[in-house]
Amino acid sequence: MGYVAIKGGGRAIAGAAAVTECLRTEEGLWNDSAEPLGIDAILHQLRYLVDRVVSEGGVYHPQFAALAIKQSLGDTLEAAFALRAWRSTRPRLCATPALDTSRMRLIRRISAAFKEIPGGQMLGPTPDYALRLLRLELLDESPQAFRRVAREWLADCPEAQLPETFPKVLDALRAEGLLPPVSDHRGQTPFDITREPLIFPVPRSAQLSTMARAETGSLLALAYSNMRGYGDIHPTVAELRVGYLPVMLPHPVTGELTEAGEVLMTECEVVAMYEADTGSKPVFTVGYGACFGHNEVKAISMAILDRALQKGAKDGASNPSEDAEFVLLHVDGVDSMGFASHYKMPHYVTFQSDMDRLRTTQQKSGASA
Amino acid sequence: MTVERIGWIRALTAHPSTELKTLAGQLAEGCELRLTSLPQAGLGLLTLTDGAFHEPYYLGEFPLSSCAIELTRPDGRKAAGGAQVMADDAELARSLAILDAVLAAQLPGWERVSALVEAGAQKRAAEDGRRAAILAATRVDFTMLNTAGDGGDED
Repeated sequence: MGYVAIKGGGRAIAGAAAVTECLRTEEGLWNDSAEPLGIDAILHQLRYLVDRVVSEGGVYHPQFAALAIKQSLGDTLEAAFALRAWRSTRPRLCATPALDTSRMRLIRRISAAFKEIPGGQMLGPTPDYALRLLRLELLDESPQAFRRVAREWLADCPEAQLPETFPKVLDALRAEGLLPPVSDHRGQTPFDITREPLIFPVPRSAQLSTMARAETGSLLALAYSNMRGYGDIHPTVAELRVGYLPVMLPHPVTGELTEAGEVLMTECEVVAMYEADTGSKPVFTVGYGACFGHNEVKAISMAILDRALQKGAKDGASNPSEDAEFVLLHVDGVDSMGFASHYKMPHYVTFQSDMDRLRTTQQKSGASA
Repeated sequence: MTVERIGWIRALTAHPSTELKTLAGQLAEGCELRLTSLPQAGLGLLTLTDGAFHEPYYLGEFPLSSCAIELTRPDGRKAAGGAQVMADDAELARSLAILDAVLAAQLPGWERVSALVEAGAQKRAAEDGRRAAILAATRVDFTMLNTAGDGGDED
């Protein structure tokens, strides 16, 4: 077989796109009342999927994330890719001042370190304590019953008087002298991973940004390796919070910080084995994770890896999860999916070369045998 | 007016954007509108302080539109307004800037803007109330566990 030029594929490519669209809409073949998935339905009923895409796409646009999910037939990697493609067409207008997440409007807040935390623990929406069994009644859920649930739940809720913000558990531990001091880099401009390439070693701000938009499964896999034994650490979740952070920007006329909107986010802070360096006071080690949307596994994984990367930077990496280059270059979903997918693209010339070399080697080895 | 200027955008964006654009168009009619900062739509970068070491880092981006204007009434009265809003809609930012100017300087029609702000604030309060209900309904009462002689699960 000789070299095959890539010609005549245009019709096939257009056909492939049309077939994919046909699959998306094929319910209409046999169901006269079939309806397209509404963006609102995706936003609300598939909210964790939307949260995953805004986080991995790196831009908090839930509506476009829902659109991306719809057009990609639910493929999170494709959806995150589409969202990033959209963001690449938009100009950067500004950066917010450094916002304090203690101002989050919480919907969930727990601690595995203390039972009693200032402000209390609130489980919020979580499947953590429910049985992971199929709810077969949802197979045939009626629209009327569907519409009743939230209304009835809210009607039964007593009016709650709660503070707008809650103090952080880590602040209490720090006040007791159990944590390392805060950073000397507080005034520095953070590393912008969307504008600068990662050339190692990179500052911690680059590590946090990279992990914040990492693919959830990739981050979990590396954090899991650390949890299972390649790190020998059992961290404790000091605090896990989910809520809406007001996005504050200066008013164009008065300059006063004004709320431009809010983002749903998850944040996790872990503490782990204390360190007793010679000559210094022993303190806990700390890890931090955060991401757009409600995604607790991702935030916990990131916090574990943040702590592991700090250890690797200090003592040298003793396992892959402590190696910044290994972690940061392998957790991005769009990057890794792109590389994996490129193997499907025509490699006719390079493979022809491989075959030529193999045949030549076989001939030589045959001749010498 | 019970809502301060820093809360006007949050309150106003509780309403459909078409309603805001319509009102802004009506209030700016007959006025001279000077754009002191062009309406633009793009992205903002969200800077956070990390909870472990208090270092700044970028969590990600968000859609952002902004605009600043100066409105001059036929009687010569002037007002400056501006808006930065989390939306991919430059026209919305322009409309919000007009509403901001009208309300700040109490130009004719400001009562309509004020009413929208108040109604929007009520919608946001209802939203906050739903979130508070989520917290209140799921608050853990450890005193009950202690009374039952259960110190909680630990590994």
